[in-house]
Amino acid sequence: MRPRVQAAALLVLLWLPWQAFSQAIPYTRPVETAPQENTIGGGYKTPAVQKPLPRNYWFQVFDVVLLAAAMGVSVWLVIRRRSRRWLVGLAIFSLAYFGFYREGCVCPIGSIQNVTVALTDPRYSIPIVVVATFFLPLFVALFFGRAFCGGVCALGAIQEMVVLKPVEVPRRIDRALGWLRYIYLLLAIFFALKPAIGRDFIICRFDPFVGLFRKTGPPHMLMIGGAFLVAGMFIGRPYCRYLCPYGVLLNWCSRLARHAVSITPDRELDCGLCNQACPYGAIVHMRAVRQDCLYCARCYASCPNERARAKRPLVAITRGTK
Amino acid sequence: MADLRYRQRRAISGKGPEPGQFGHSLTGLALDSQGLLYASGDSEIKAFDTAGRLRSRWRTQRPALAVAVSRDGRVYAGEEGQIEIFDAAAKAARVWRDDQMLGRVTAIGFSGDTVLAGDAAGRAIRRFDRTGRILNVIGADNNVGGLLIPNGVVSFDVDSGGVIHAANPGKHRVERYSPDGTLLGHFGKFSFDNPAGFTGCCNPTNVAVSGRIYVTEKAGPRLKAYSRDGEFQGVLAADCFDPNCKNIPVHACPRGIVYAADTVRLQILAFEPEAA
Amino acid sequence: MSQDLTRRAAVAALAGGAGFLIQKAHGQVVWQVNASRCLNSRLGEVGVEACNLCTSSCVVGLSAVRAVNEHSKCGRCNICPAYFNIASAVDEKGLPSEKLCPRDAITRKPIGRQDPEDPSNNFYEYSIDEDKCDGCGRCVMKCKEPLGLGSITLRVRYDKCLNCNRCAISTACPKDALEQIPLPEALKSGEARTG
Repeated sequence: MRPRVQAAALLVLLWLPWQAFSQAIPYTRPVETAPQENTIGGGYKTPAVQKPLPRNYWFQVFDVVLLAAAMGVSVWLVIRRRSRRWLVGLAIFSLAYFGFYREGCVCPIGSIQNVTVALTDPRYSIPIVVVATFFLPLFVALFFGRAFCGGVCALGAIQEMVVLKPVEVPRRIDRALGWLRYIYLLLAIFFALKPAIGRDFIICRFDPFVGLFRKTGPPHMLMIGGAFLVAGMFIGRPYCRYLCPYGVLLNWCSRLARHAVSITPDRELDCGLCNQACPYGAIVHMRAVRQDCLYCARCYASCPNERARAKRPLVAITRGTK
Repeated sequence: MADLRYRQRRAISGKGPEPGQFGHSLTGLALDSQGLLYASGDSEIKAFDTAGRLRSRWRTQRPALAVAVSRDGRVYAGEEGQIEIFDAAAKAARVWRDDQMLGRVTAIGFSGDTVLAGDAAGRAIRRFDRTGRILNVIGADNNVGGLLIPNGVVSFDVDSGGVIHAANPGKHRVERYSPDGTLLGHFGKFSFDNPAGFTGCCNPTNVAVSGRIYVTEKAGPRLKAYSRDGEFQGVLAADCFDPNCKNIPVHACPRGIVYAADTVRLQILAFEPEAA
Repeated sequence: MSQDLTRRAAVAALAGGAGFLIQKAHGQVVWQVNASRCLNSRLGEVGVEACNLCTSSCVVGLSAVRAVNEHSKCGRCNICPAYFNIASAVDEKGLPSEKLCPRDAITRKPIGRQDPEDPSNNFYEYSIDEDKCDGCGRCVMKCKEPLGLGSITLRVRYDKCLNCNRCAISTACPKDALEQIPLPEALKSGEARTG
């Protein structure tokens, strides 16, 4: 036989047994053969298998409604009432409810991954509440800025609580560190795009604060969470400013906001007290930078004009005090 | 006991679309006086010669769960709710239909002039006369109202003396009945390491009698032989079955060749004693 | 103003994305074990060690995955390979002397018409105590066909599961058997019908 025919014949001869052995014979289970009640006799009734239900679905819907309401309250407190005190109250509530009670899950930050999978994997079932959790803060940001960050996000709230003596991060370093958010976002999307067996939700895995909310977790994550809180005493909200991938999306949306926190040129006193008060570097050249403003209302609390308008005594908030 | 050595002589048929192959099930084996091997599976009865070639095949009305050949050459096929009787020559069928007494016929045997049908739905053996009239029920007269068959298959065979040997897997034993239903005796007990015993939850699954008693087991599938009195004689085959086999049909020919079917690979394996 | 226009375009884009996802979306979605993939219950593989990654990976103290016996599919056998360790020595009653479950979570109870003289003549009901079970999967592996009838499977129990967005068990499972499915589907009984 000619060499090519020989080779082909050899391949076929090798392929056939390989096919036979490699195909696992599908094993189908025979028909129901278990004894029935009339066989067992004696008045026996087959007990029903317990099927415990999860938390009622309406709780999840309620959580979304509460999320929307909290953002509405945040907008009203900061833009309208301009009250830092009430905003802190809202932040404490969000920390307690969304953080410790709901254990931080599902949060808009993690929902980026769910939405990524839903857009690319037809087999994935995304719940409606997660879709809502993803889009609501973005809609709000388009009109009012990062209202979600101020007083609603549990991760932000826990960092807010520990701000002690925030230092001003030099502009260059602030910019450079800001790139980390983009890298984290791309990595999160990359790992979420993988097929199901390799998929990893890294935002959830490396969430520094979920271990504190659940009061349990891998020791290294608990330590990192603690480290973030310690760092947060001196650098305002480091996770929010330099790591949060959802912050990238909020950043983009809040650039288009019309009614966000702003410093109007004709009313400002040029005193610089707001600049000193903002721990997040969101006031540049006496103008509020909407995409960086984390809705903490310290600027309003320190502004003499605001104090006068609200008929409240002036409290000078200088950098380094709460 | 240890000198019972059998080797696999031949593997007949297999799984596939060819006429001689089975699609998804192989449920029963039988031999006729000419040495043709009948096998029930899917919704067909197939007949093979001793060389393993397909000689004939025909369809049954419902999925075929058992097959047996009577002395006069008629082929009985057990199905759900009925028994179909085929004339070896003409293949014309008579049907005995009885949803109560023939719920799921998984084994058929003959004792004298009477026909015995193992009904897995009723967990007992029904005895009929030649016209299909029910005479009596065997194996149901106990506290659990029948044989304990979680595997869903009643299996029995009749020896030359007319005694019925039935597998009672839930009790890990083979029971002997007279044709009128009296329990004459039993042998076998649960054991994991002793090969003479039956392992797992429900073994033996199938039984055949020809001189000796041959049983098959699942979960560690194997083919074993006992004497007529229940004395263990040896393991004839174990590793040649796919480990997922269950309810392995078995049949023995008077010349000593034992046929057992691999229910996963859908092959009939023939075993013969190694030349002494 | 171009900012107004951009904002309107962004609103439209977000609304479009949200609408697209909502019509694909489901109601309540939970994690559940797919019995046809789970190593302990999938058909076709025999002689392997039971996989206990469900026990060790879950973030909850005692794993939210437990073994559940679907009674209507159970054989009610006298000698159950999931209850007894059938490899252990047989005692004087003819039953294996050791039990399989390391936490003694399975109970055995005679049911139906009972024979006062011969206990092997009875049917027995096997129930798994969910407070003791930790989902190690040994009984599931032994109940699997062909040794048993496959009525015991590992199931996620929703009174214990936190429904994490990133289920630690699903990440650890070598057969990708944990899947997120709508609740009604997840509550159906776990059956490994095909391998």
